[in-house]
Amino acid sequence: MLPHQLHVRGVLGINARNQKYTLRVNERRFYPLVDDKLATKRMCQEAGIPVPRLFAVAEVHAQAKRLLPQLAGESAFVLKPARGAMGNGILVIDMRDAKMMRGSRVVSAEDFVYHAAGIISGLYSLAGHVDAAMVEEKLVTHAAIAPLAVDGVPDVRVIVYRGIPVMGMMRLPTRSSGGRANLHQGALGVGIDLELGLTTHAMFRGASIQKHPDNQRALLGFPIPSFDQVLTTAVSAASHTGLGYVGADVVIDAILGPAILELNARPGLAIQLANRAGLGPRLDAVDEALGSWRRGERNEMPTEARVALGREVARATRRLAA
Amino acid sequence: MSRPALIVGALLVAFGLAVFGLKVFKYGLPLAVAEGVGPWQVELRVNVRGSGAPGSLRALLPASEAGQAIFDEKPTSDRLDFVVREQSGGNRTGVWSGPIGPIHEVVYAFRVQMSAVEVPLPAAGPYPKPPASIGALYLERTPALPVNAPQIAAHLDALRLPSMQDLPGRIRTIYQSVANEVASIDPGSDDALLVLANRDGSEAGKEHLLITLLRAAGVPARLVHGLELRTDATPRERTWSEAWVADRWLPMSTSQDGFFARRPETFLVLGRGAVVNVEATSVLSVGHRYRSLREHLRADEIANLLTPDNPVFERLSFYRLPLPTQAALRVLLLIPLGAVMIALFRNVIGVMTYGTFMPILISLALREFSLWRSLLLVAGVIVFALSLRRALDSLRLLMVPRLSILLCTVVLLVSGFALVGDETQTASLFAGVLFPMVILTMLTERIFITSAEEGVREALVRAVISAGVAATIHPIFQNAHAEYLMFTFPELTFCAMGVLVWLGGYTGYRVSDLLRFRSLAHDPRAEAA
Repeated sequence: MLPHQLHVRGVLGINARNQKYTLRVNERRFYPLVDDKLATKRMCQEAGIPVPRLFAVAEVHAQAKRLLPQLAGESAFVLKPARGAMGNGILVIDMRDAKMMRGSRVVSAEDFVYHAAGIISGLYSLAGHVDAAMVEEKLVTHAAIAPLAVDGVPDVRVIVYRGIPVMGMMRLPTRSSGGRANLHQGALGVGIDLELGLTTHAMFRGASIQKHPDNQRALLGFPIPSFDQVLTTAVSAASHTGLGYVGADVVIDAILGPAILELNARPGLAIQLANRAGLGPRLDAVDEALGSWRRGERNEMPTEARVALGREVARATRRLAA
Repeated sequence: MSRPALIVGALLVAFGLAVFGLKVFKYGLPLAVAEGVGPWQVELRVNVRGSGAPGSLRALLPASEAGQAIFDEKPTSDRLDFVVREQSGGNRTGVWSGPIGPIHEVVYAFRVQMSAVEVPLPAAGPYPKPPASIGALYLERTPALPVNAPQIAAHLDALRLPSMQDLPGRIRTIYQSVANEVASIDPGSDDALLVLANRDGSEAGKEHLLITLLRAAGVPARLVHGLELRTDATPRERTWSEAWVADRWLPMSTSQDGFFARRPETFLVLGRGAVVNVEATSVLSVGHRYRSLREHLRADEIANLLTPDNPVFERLSFYRLPLPTQAALRVLLLIPLGAVMIALFRNVIGVMTYGTFMPILISLALREFSLWRSLLLVAGVIVFALSLRRALDSLRLLMVPRLSILLCTVVLLVSGFALVGDETQTASLFAGVLFPMVILTMLTERIFITSAEEGVREALVRAVISAGVAATIHPIFQNAHAEYLMFTFPELTFCAMGVLVWLGGYTGYRVSDLLRFRSLAHDPRAEAA
C-alpha cells in the first residue's frame, strides 16, 4: 500500500508536519519574527548575521511615491512585501541605461509605485492585512553558482529542527518560474548531501531531471560554495527566532557570502522530493539525540557542534537505507 | 493522533450520541421523517400602525372541524388586549384592542393536522327542505350576492336546470357553468354581475357569482375564506363555496385548480360568510402575512417534541420557536455537516479551494436552486466580474476602491438576476440576503491574482476544484432528512465537533501527499527508517 510505503521511508505529510512539528515546536508568539521580513532583517542584523541591505520602506500609501528617490544611484534592487507568502508580489529591478528593467521588460515609475501600493494594501500578504513595501539590495549570485542561475537569484533552503540542520536543497529559478525560487511556481529543487555539500538529485515540476532545463548544464555532483557557512548561517538565524522548526533561505552572495534572505515557519515538504528522502527519520534522530522537546527550550550547543550533529544525522539515516 | 485529541473527540461524539440515544429510545422521537403525514405550522403576523387612539384589530382564526384539527395555538398581543370571539355563524375571531401606537406586531401561530374531506352526494331525492335556520341565512340577497337580478334569472333559464328532485344535478350544472364558462383572471372583478357579463373574474368574483346563482335556484350557499398551504411557498389566501344538500354542506371551488364535493387536504378553512381575513378599525394602516411550514412528523410525535417528558428537553426543543426562527435554524444547523465535509476535503484529501468556507456559503445561498443552475449562476457572475476586473487593471486603482467597484458590479448582477428570477417565479431565492456578494467579489479578485501570478491554468484548476467541493456539499443543504435530523437532534452538532477534533488530530497522509510523493515509494535510493 502506498501510504505504508511512504511511511516506511519516513516521508512527512502535511498533516504530520503541522501536528507533530510546526504546531508543537513553533510557538505562535514567535511567528511575527519570520512572517515580517523587516523584523527578520532587524533580528539578523542585531545578531551579526549577514542580510541584504535595506534601501527603503513604505508603510503607508503616501510613502510609496517616495521610494524611488531613495533608490537613486543603486544599480539593482528588489521590491517585495514585508509579509508576503510563497514568493508572491516580488519585483526584481535592474537599472540599465537609467531605465528600470524587469528581465527584458521596462518598468515605468508609475508601474513601480502602483506595485508598491498593491503591496501596502495587503494584496500579497498572508491574511490580506495591511502590509509594508520594502526595497532591498539585489544580491549577486556567487560566481560558482552563476552558471546555474538562469533568471533570478538561487538560494539554499535549509530545514533547521531544534537548532540542528536536517535537510538542504538548492532552489534555482528558471525561465518558467519567472525568476522566483518557489518550487510550485516552476523553480528547480536540487537536493544536497549535508555531509559533503554536493548536489544529489534534481527535480523540476515533480519529475527527476539531470540537466538544467534552460541551459542543459549538469546539476548533479555540484559542490555548493561555502557550504559550512551556509549551514552555520541558517542555524544561527533559526536559533534566534525561538522557533523549533524553521526553513532558512540562504543566498550565497558574491561579496557578502551566505546571507539570510528570509525565514519560514511553515517550510514546504517538496524538499523531500529533491533529496529523494523523507524528513521523518532525521527529525526522529534529532529528537533521540536531544531528548524530548521542552516548551521554550533553546539549543545551547555551539553552532559548529550543531552542524556536526546535523551531518551525523544525515549520514546515519543514509546508512540505514544502504 | 495524540491521545488527548482522541479522548476529547470521543467525549464529544459520546455526549452527542448519548443525548441522541436518550431522545430516540427513552422518549421515542422518530429517526426518520414520513413524507406528507405531518401537521402544518401556520403563523399569521399582523402589523398595525395607529395614532395612539383606541382601535381594534380582528383576524379570522381557524376552528377544528372535519378535515382540520387545530392545536398548539399561540397568540401574542404586543401591549394590546386579546380575546377570542366565537360568533353565532360559527366563525372564530381574534380581537386585539387598545390604544394603537406607532407600531404593533401581533402574531397568531397554531399547528393544524389536515386531511382531505370527501362529501358524498346524498342518495336520490326527494330531499327535505333546508331547515329554517339555514334557509334564513343562506338564501338571502345581499349587496354582494344580487340574487334577484334579472341577469341571474336569465342565466339560470338558459341553463335548463334539472328539477329540485335532482338537487345534486342542479348544483352540478350551476357549478359547471361557472367553472367552465367563466375565465379566472388576476386581477379581475369581484362583482357577481360584472363577472357574469364579462365571462371572467377574480377567484372571489367567480365564487360570488356561483353563490348568487345557487341561492337564486333555491340552494343555500355560502362563501368560505381560507388558506391553501404550500410546501415551498407562503400560504395563499383562497376563497371557495359551500352549498347545502339535504343535510350537509358540499364544498366546491370554481378556480382553475377547483374541486367539487370534496376539499383537498391543503385547504384550511379560516371562516365563512361576508367577512375578511384581517381587518382593523381606527388605525392608520394594517398589513398581514401568513407563513407555513410542513412538519415531517405525526401530530403525536410533534406533541412529544413540544413537551417531552423531560423538562430539560422541553426547554431545549426548537419546535417551540416562532416560525421564521425555526426556518432559519433548520438551515443553520446544517452548517456543521458542511464544515465536516470541508475539513475532510482539506485535511484528508488535501484539495485547495478558493476560501476555506466559500463552498459552504455558496451552497447555502443557492440551496433553493438546483446544482447546475447554482454553478452556472456563480460562474456567470464570476466571468462577468473577471472581465471587468481585467478592464479595471489598466486604471491602476487602489485595492479597496477597486474591490468595491467589483462589489458594486456583483450587486448589480445579482439584482439583475432577481429581476429575471421574478419573471420566472424563482424570486424566493433572492428574498434571503444570504447571497454572498462579498465572497463572490473576493473570489473574483483571487482568481484574477492567481491567473496573473500562477497562470490561467492553475487558476482554472483551482476554480474547478472549488466548484467540485461546492457540488459535493450542495446536496446536504437540500436534504430534507438531514435537515430533520439536525433540527430535531441538534446535539448531533457535538458529534460533528468530535469528528472535527479527530480530523484535526489526524497525522496521516493526505491524498494529495500520496500523489505528490508517490515517486519516493518505489525509489530504491530513497532512505528508509
